[in-house]
Amino acid sequence: MGAFELTITETVLVFVGIPLAVVAIIYGLVYGLAARSGGKRYRPGRPYTAAPVWYLANKHSAPEAHESHAREVTAVPEGELATVHYGETGGASDSW
Amino acid sequence: MTAGDHATSARPDVLEGPFTTPQLLRIDEALRTADDSTGLTFSLYVGDLELPVRGYAEKLHSQLAAPDQSVLVAVSPNQRVLEIVTGHDARRRIPDRSSKLAALSMTAAFGGGDLAGGIVAGLAQLASQAGRS
Repeated sequence: MGAFELTITETVLVFVGIPLAVVAIIYGLVYGLAARSGGKRYRPGRPYTAAPVWYLANKHSAPEAHESHAREVTAVPEGELATVHYGETGGASDSW
Repeated sequence: MTAGDHATSARPDVLEGPFTTPQLLRIDEALRTADDSTGLTFSLYVGDLELPVRGYAEKLHSQLAAPDQSVLVAVSPNQRVLEIVTGHDARRRIPDRSSKLAALSMTAAFGGGDLAGGIVAGLAQLASQAGRS
């Protein structure tokens, strides 16, 4: 016996340094990868920062389909809203 | 509303959205099958809606190429609002009650944070309700 005589420094290194290193590696893996891949993922209750997008199916790859939302909306004159006849369209509304 | 400052940057704009590439492919697939099977035009908007929400969604819908034959699904994750707008002809194929049913299943998924899954499921439901053209 007596083979495992550690100095204070070695004890601290083994029992504090190694666990801290493991924690740091796992933390980096989890949050580093998450920030890179799914940074804009929607989570209910958290602010949603992704840019607005408007999709049509791919076969309608006409120029107007690829234009972004902002361009399409600003292209409409201010009075356009008044010409929308409410009630001609149907559908549903819901919230969560 | 920062998207689309440059007309040629359509690709990056799309990738700035909330979806990963596999999700985008699934959504595109869902939109395409819905369009092909029904003959209607399905469109999906994800982003903030100006107030009044319903009016703004109808305005977006009216900007589509053929609004009468079009269905717009507008999702606003920040406002936690979903609007489904069906045009005059599309409404005959998809009654409001069916739209509401699709909206319910979509918001159930959205509430769990699954935007893409809810959208794909909702589009499939709307398309199956509309039937074949």
